[in-house]
Amino acid sequence: MSGVSYIEKILGSRELLYTLLLLSVILPIIHPLGIPIEVSKRTRDVYSYIETNLRQECHVYIEVYYEVAARGELEPNLIALTKHLFDKNCKIVYGSLSAFGVIAFSLFRSMASDLFEDKVYGRDYVYLGYIAGGEAAAASLARSIKGTISVDNFGNRLEDLPLMKEVDKATDFNLVVIASSGTDVFAYYVRQWHTPYNVPLLFAALSVIAPSIEPFVGAKQAVGMLVGQRSAAEYEVLVGRLGLGIASMDAQSTSHMLIVAFIGIGNILYWGKRLSSRRGGGK
Amino acid sequence: MIGWDVIGAWLCAAMVVWIYSFVYRDNVFYKIAEHMFVGTAAGYSIALALDSLNRVLVSPAVRSPHTFWSASWHYVIPAILGVLMFTKYSKKYYWLARYAVAVNIAVGSGLALRTVPIANIVRQITATIVPLWGSDPVKTLNNWILVLITLGGLTYFIFTTFPKKAEGVKPSLTYLVYRGLYYIGIYGMMVGFGALFANTIMTRVGFLISVYLIYIQPQALASAIAAVLTAAAIILGILRKR
Repeated sequence: MSGVSYIEKILGSRELLYTLLLLSVILPIIHPLGIPIEVSKRTRDVYSYIETNLRQECHVYIEVYYEVAARGELEPNLIALTKHLFDKNCKIVYGSLSAFGVIAFSLFRSMASDLFEDKVYGRDYVYLGYIAGGEAAAASLARSIKGTISVDNFGNRLEDLPLMKEVDKATDFNLVVIASSGTDVFAYYVRQWHTPYNVPLLFAALSVIAPSIEPFVGAKQAVGMLVGQRSAAEYEVLVGRLGLGIASMDAQSTSHMLIVAFIGIGNILYWGKRLSSRRGGGK
Repeated sequence: MIGWDVIGAWLCAAMVVWIYSFVYRDNVFYKIAEHMFVGTAAGYSIALALDSLNRVLVSPAVRSPHTFWSASWHYVIPAILGVLMFTKYSKKYYWLARYAVAVNIAVGSGLALRTVPIANIVRQITATIVPLWGSDPVKTLNNWILVLITLGGLTYFIFTTFPKKAEGVKPSLTYLVYRGLYYIGIYGMMVGFGALFANTIMTRVGFLISVYLIYIQPQALASAIAAVLTAAAIILGILRKR
């Protein structure tokens, strides 16, 4: 066995890669490296949009559309955005077109309990719960929330909630935030909320689906996009509430460095093997 | 006294370790966690769907029938259509389910057709009409890249008719433009796939980090016990195969 093939056999074992990946995630969490992060233009633009365009006591609709597995990427974004919106005394209506949104909202609510301490349910925020129907439900909500559902997630009549007396249709909201782990729901809101009613949309997406929804942002159908833990960390810095996003950054950096190193080594081994086989063939 | 919250947290940590143990090798604890997850997720979805039906239809109809029948009577129609879906299980009445499916498709198509041409076609095309000359060189370069890669990507997917090069003849200008855009399309897509791959890694690593921070780190003892049990199961599995 040639030297190159021997190295390839050792480094090619998935057990080694997974073990190194696990270590590169865990060690920086136990011993933080403090790698500095810079707030990107994309995140700063979202922050500036909310700062300049949303007045005090404005109304915001937030779609919570992710399953528990996607918590790590979307929940920190949702917490940082909620903190920013509550700091501006905005009133928020949360809703979920996904059944798993209900458990995601409950976990988000318990993780960010400090944000809701001085807020009154029904006056400052409302959670509509799971609304079945996909795109048809999104279109119906845009026309009339109270015409679509009559009670919130906890069984309260919407007519009895003070906040729901102030808002009912898409145009009553100054901003719509979509925190989603699926691509479809972004398109639902672009098609049923933005296109007919021109409501500003803001996306909070998983990193893996960000390239798929980038065309909506490029076409100015959304005012901006927060992408994964990186944007969450930056937004946490901007709003001054450090959480899971910033805690993850060292581990994200080291694990990415490891993957880059492995891609580099893989390429070197590939070319080394090709060169050695050519030399062998020449002999 | 150990409460249900503590037991739940331990179980969460153990299940995470058991699910991730599949990365090394299939084992009995992974299977337990997998089956528990599938069962719980299915049960949860059904419960949520029934709760939604109850909140929107059943409860208002029972609590205040007069208000319901005067304001929300139309909810009965989708309820009937929903019930018709279950006729699929009858050999005699399975055809009734087609009405529900037809209405579902019609509503979906109607809603999509209303806005898709503007939202998904016109706005995307107009977004690529950008100034190719300007005072800001970076913006101008970005605009050129955007236009060329869009044209290249579209050119790559022309499968019907395209200029061909005749043998022994100098290639025509149309052919050269076509080939140029074709390769720009290929490399543009390569860059796109690269970005997608990098974002995929970021998401997967993000999941791993959050799982560690939320579930494993706070319940280190439960995670360690789960890991030891998994290791024992894997070793036993290997020994049994021998």
